[in-house]
Amino acid sequence: MKVFNLPDLGEGLPDAQIREWHVKPGDIVEIDQPLVAMETAKAVVEVPSPWAGEIGELHGSVDDIIDTGAQLVTFKTITSTHAEKKDTGTVVGHIERTNAVVPETAQVFERTSSQNIKATPAVKQLAKQLNVDLTQITGTGPNNTITAQDVKQATTQVSAKPAADFEPLKGVRRSMMQTMVKSHQEIVPATIFDEADIAAWADNQDITLRIIRAITHACKIEPSLNAWYDSAAQARKLFTDVNLGLAIDSDEGLFVPVIEKAQNNSELRNIINTYKTQVKNRSIPTEKLSGATISLSNFGVFAGQFATPVVVPPQVAIIGIGKIKDAAVVYQEQIVVHKMIPISLTFDHRAVTGGEASRFLYALMQDLKEAN
Amino acid sequence: MSIQSQTVAEFAITYSRFLDAEGHPTQDLPESLKNADTLRKLYEYMVLNRTFDAKAVALQRTGKMGTYPSSAGQEAIGVGVGAAMQEGDVSVPYYRDHGAHLIRGGSIEEIYLLWGGDERGNDYATLKQDFPVAVPIASQSLHAVGVAKAIQYRKQSRAVVTFIGDGGTSEGDFYEAINLAGVWKLPVLFVINNNFWAISVPLSEQTICKTLAQKGIAAGVSGEQVDGNDVLAVTYATEQALKRIREGHGPHIIEALTYRMCDHTTADDAKRYQPPEEVESYKKEDPILRLRNYLVSQNLWDEEQEKTLYARVKQTVEQAVHAYESIPDQPPTAIFDYLYATLPHDLIEQRDILLANLGAHHE
Amino acid sequence: MSEITLVEAVTQALAYELAHDENVIVFGEDVGANGGVFRATEGLQKRFGTDRVLDTPLAESMIVGMAVGMAAEGLKPIAEIQFMGFIYPALDQIISHASRLRNRTRGRLSCPMVIRAPYGCGIHAPEHHSESTESILAHIPGLRVVIPSSPTRAYGLLLAAMRDPDPVIFLEPTRIYRKIKQEVPDNGVALPLDRCFLLREGTDITLVSWGAMLTETMTAAQNLQQQGINCEVIDVATIKPLDIDSIIQSVEKTGRCVIIHEAAKTCGVGAEIAAQLAEKALMSLRAPIQRVTGFDTIVPLYKMEHLYLPSVARILNAAHEVMAFE
Repeated sequence: MKVFNLPDLGEGLPDAQIREWHVKPGDIVEIDQPLVAMETAKAVVEVPSPWAGEIGELHGSVDDIIDTGAQLVTFKTITSTHAEKKDTGTVVGHIERTNAVVPETAQVFERTSSQNIKATPAVKQLAKQLNVDLTQITGTGPNNTITAQDVKQATTQVSAKPAADFEPLKGVRRSMMQTMVKSHQEIVPATIFDEADIAAWADNQDITLRIIRAITHACKIEPSLNAWYDSAAQARKLFTDVNLGLAIDSDEGLFVPVIEKAQNNSELRNIINTYKTQVKNRSIPTEKLSGATISLSNFGVFAGQFATPVVVPPQVAIIGIGKIKDAAVVYQEQIVVHKMIPISLTFDHRAVTGGEASRFLYALMQDLKEAN
Repeated sequence: MSIQSQTVAEFAITYSRFLDAEGHPTQDLPESLKNADTLRKLYEYMVLNRTFDAKAVALQRTGKMGTYPSSAGQEAIGVGVGAAMQEGDVSVPYYRDHGAHLIRGGSIEEIYLLWGGDERGNDYATLKQDFPVAVPIASQSLHAVGVAKAIQYRKQSRAVVTFIGDGGTSEGDFYEAINLAGVWKLPVLFVINNNFWAISVPLSEQTICKTLAQKGIAAGVSGEQVDGNDVLAVTYATEQALKRIREGHGPHIIEALTYRMCDHTTADDAKRYQPPEEVESYKKEDPILRLRNYLVSQNLWDEEQEKTLYARVKQTVEQAVHAYESIPDQPPTAIFDYLYATLPHDLIEQRDILLANLGAHHE
Repeated sequence: MSEITLVEAVTQALAYELAHDENVIVFGEDVGANGGVFRATEGLQKRFGTDRVLDTPLAESMIVGMAVGMAAEGLKPIAEIQFMGFIYPALDQIISHASRLRNRTRGRLSCPMVIRAPYGCGIHAPEHHSESTESILAHIPGLRVVIPSSPTRAYGLLLAAMRDPDPVIFLEPTRIYRKIKQEVPDNGVALPLDRCFLLREGTDITLVSWGAMLTETMTAAQNLQQQGINCEVIDVATIKPLDIDSIIQSVEKTGRCVIIHEAAKTCGVGAEIAAQLAEKALMSLRAPIQRVTGFDTIVPLYKMEHLYLPSVARILNAAHEVMAFE
């Protein structure tokens, strides 16, 4: 049992009037819990409980005047007399608390060595485009990084072991493959087809020589097809000399030796025959296989009229000749049978316009139509 | 053989008061302190200070305001100093000087807003030249010196009053400030609220100086001690000091002795370190009680006036609470809008990110 | 067994070292009788006496400058700066002296000292109490900057900091002072400095963070898991010197990196991590590096503080952005 007397509610006031009780006998209260509202001369003041415990007796009713220091409330039992303010554990703000215990999952980071492919995102993109498997390439860039060049090279590099029954490409076949891939990567091909009417030909024309002459003639008229194009520099070079690459087939594969200055070469037939022999003997000198400014593929020996032969960079044009045939044509409003020679002109549209190709083809055909 | 030397410098620090703890005059009051209206105004503002302050603590306890530094028991300093300042004077406070803010026309709402976590609390409506509160201790002393320099440069007759706590006088910034104020004869008054506690560190552990006013001696700046719970002593000393400062005599220090009858902030618990008997003993030094007793003894105050005052103060505080609680939120972009005079380019993108994350676009 | 919060882990570490190393002196404002404003030094003065645990006058530059002198003389000062927001007066002593005494004297004198400071925002504090300007300190050669994010790491890293022969700034995130509780055995075992910690293993994105932001980061990782995105979460812990190799190793695995920090974006430590990843891990990146950070603004007062802090939503946005690349 403990009696709580009315404290001084402010600056020496003698008494106060009970306005409202907030507790009744039997209530359990905490420290600072408001017990009663008392009115003084100044204001209505809440009187907080000094202790925690059970209320025993209230010493007054509403409107009663209680002297400062007189009995106000008797506590039946006290559980705590310490007005302990809860320690906020801070001097500013609010620190959130928890009681949940969590395990520590953090571990010091274990270092292991890297197994990654070293290629920049740009190079990876290129590899994706070119269908190259980066894991098969050894980089030649800084710190063995794979470069774009490495990727391009790998398009002609063998990157996998052939399966059983596959015969790896070798020699000339392999070379052809590489040339074709390179062409495919660079050239933007377009083709014009036409037929030349060679009914006027005198007897015993050397077909190949006639074609070569027609080509050199066309090169003179429209030199933009007798040119090289440099993709890196985006520049072209026109030639006056026609160094004609002549496609010659063999058991080994395709060879394209170069006939220099075909525009005024009196030894054409001899050169061609020599090349044919050399190809057969596999004795053709390497330097004869490069430097062509324009190429000729007489593919129609056995069959085939038109085709889209492959332009080999840095050249910008190739002429494909198909099988000469007898055809029904309209000539001076009559249907007649003339010998026709099918011509396919494939050009690199990066460096040659359609107009140029068309003019070239016209000139070529005009020359071919001549009697001799 | 005795060594000859001569004293080349001495100092004396005076202590003054007009009213003792019971409110009895300890000496004749000067004329300016006999004016009934002046005295009543001082009383009213101390009552306002205590009431709004208690309300602030209550707001914090009920989660309606953030951490708040109370000025309970120290009202005579803010009110007394503020009463002696003139319009155009600049206040560079620390954070317990609410009384000065109020008596010079500042609003309660501004104080509630700041501690309620809203920067608009520092955008004073009337006291346009005043600095906002200073949380980094003693940093304000140097600002005061800068403001004083500007005033001196422009040859104005305005004065700067800067406040600091006892703990703050240990900071380097304070010493640098008084030194410069001294050597440049700047128009600045340093008011030290010596409430004997710097959070939990008592004055005896802060310094071995007998007074804090004497720290000015190290800077060649005059200083005095007053009873910080006697608002008459505080206001008179301030009045006299500001007069001399305006006349160009240089800076001055007033150390007002009081006691921190509250926690450092609402999050602190002073019961952990303030000896209860010490706290108890200071209750009778209460500044409001003492002035009331004096006013009553001079027949300048009665129960009726007391009742009326408290009713009026209660209403004023209620209105301020209402204004504080009903102010519309700042727009989220306010985070960016006051960083620079014109928002730089690289922040426009960040402001957009903020807006995008709110899910709405504003003009 | 002791189930303790982060701030209690700090106390535990301080007590351990005070008990085992007579050169350790703990001091700062309110750390003695009051046990520190956050109770980080609770009970220490009572246990170890006023010679070992001291209340200082109110002056930050003095606290750090004094620590420099004590350390050079062979003591092990463990100084507390009450809030990171109050460390600025002491920057001269940190930058001009603590960080370079060893270098200037060719190793004859050195500064084995620790400066502890509560740091970061999110506790509804008044102005200047919400700073996270760790990158100012991380920029300084000669300093170590350590930020724990769990009671276990606070204990182990603070022990390591106190035993380190060079100055360490130990920043304690106030927001998680009491938000996590763990069993932390008081065995005096230190954790390594200068090393990252792996919180969560993953394969799709590397989330890098430190301090209190790891809470949001882990929440984001859990959300992303439900979307089938498997995140690796790294706690940098030692901001300087940076263990970039661990982060690189993780990014080499995942190819994607999102860095999260509370500090403002420009010149934040995230920028350093991103730059080093671009230098050394470009080959592994599948997407640009993302940073989710505080805005380049002053931390707003608490009415708008929540708008500043990088949210889980912003982390998720960044994660989705890096997943969109292939």
